[in-house]
Amino acid sequence: MVYAALVATHYGEFWPFSIYPMFSQGGSDWSRTVVREIEDVDDVKWAPTAVSELPGVAYPLTPNGVDPIDLASFISKTHVWDEDRKLGLQSTFLPVIGDKRLLVFKVDGRISPTDSVLISFEPHALVTRESVVTNPRFGRE
Amino acid sequence: MTSPFNDLFETVLPDSRGGRIYFKVFELFVVVSAIHLAWKWAGYIPRLTDTVEPVGLAAYINLSFVVDPVVAWGMALALTASASTGFVRIRLLGRYGYAVAFMLMLVLFAARFSQGKIPHSANLVGMAVLALALGMLLFRNAHDRARFVLGFTYFYVGLAYTLAGIAKLVGTGLTWPDGRHLWMWINEKSIDVFAKYGQLDLNWVQHLALDHRLFATAMLTFGWVTELTAFLLWWERFRRPLIVLILMLHFGIWMSMNIMFKLSIFELVILLLPLPMLIDRYGEKSARSIVDRLDTLTARIF
Repeated sequence: MVYAALVATHYGEFWPFSIYPMFSQGGSDWSRTVVREIEDVDDVKWAPTAVSELPGVAYPLTPNGVDPIDLASFISKTHVWDEDRKLGLQSTFLPVIGDKRLLVFKVDGRISPTDSVLISFEPHALVTRESVVTNPRFGRE
Repeated sequence: MTSPFNDLFETVLPDSRGGRIYFKVFELFVVVSAIHLAWKWAGYIPRLTDTVEPVGLAAYINLSFVVDPVVAWGMALALTASASTGFVRIRLLGRYGYAVAFMLMLVLFAARFSQGKIPHSANLVGMAVLALALGMLLFRNAHDRARFVLGFTYFYVGLAYTLAGIAKLVGTGLTWPDGRHLWMWINEKSIDVFAKYGQLDLNWVQHLALDHRLFATAMLTFGWVTELTAFLLWWERFRRPLIVLILMLHFGIWMSMNIMFKLSIFELVILLLPLPMLIDRYGEKSARSIVDRLDTLTARIF
């Protein structure tokens, strides 16, 4: 009963200004996002890569007014890239994008069987002022 | 052991000048923090176009109208006005000021954070606004009100951290403090910093934890035990040691995961300080000393 009243109903933590459990599930896989500014859109390779092989230069989100947690959540929770979702992603960058070409990577972390943390960077979308092109692996909506 | 009710609500604040000044300092901190959060959230809300995962009120009410900048800024302005009327105790309006501010804060919070992930930094401040709202509605006597607000706040701080500890037990079980879990969080938060600023650097605590699983396990164990025992601060004799331990927990979170709960830390520091006793003991003496010096200075000049 105590569990139901204090934990289950509030996803494990405090209501009303803190709903989701923070660090409640140890060892869970995680997903984040990083953005790179690239020169040539023709050079985009849509395959997963390592941090040392990321193309272009880092596009820091905070100085550009984008919340990295919101962006990561948006990317990881988007399973179908329809026009609304593409527009939503583009509008995140529109006030600051100018002529830049931004490649948005989904970053996944997990523990390997040999007790090390594996991190992979997979390009999900190329965002410019004019368009949003998603990774062909997701199919065309 | 005495009843926690007594330690939370009866002896929590002396009925003295020091007690009154201390409470006003606490209240000012809560009001300024709530206003700061409201404007910060209102400034970001117009950039949102889509609700990813509705939180709080947004799960029951369509809050898409708040995305309009005029509405968002208007709500922040209304919260500023209502919290201010509560603080200066404007007749009638002042009594309901904090309640209105709390409701507006809930709406702005839900509108801002329906993107799937939410921070926890507004938690203690938000609940302190609720404490002030209830205090103003339920008590006419200023000292009774102040005792209730502080008692409620201590109660909630203890409850919140203990529930966080229980949530870990429920979510993961007894293996929660396994150092490998900290490895995952350190890497996750390092990627956050990489995304924010474009640089991937680890500090010495992060290196130590990643290199030594035992150290990482010890850090998590300390944090977990602190959370699970946080309810002890309902008793006055454990209050200050527990708040110091919680502050150490936050220092560990900051060093290992780059997460700084600034407002929660400030609130805990205010709750820790023995200001009523210090003001009562030394305040009058200092005030007299300042007046004496001013008199001497004035006499010399004129």
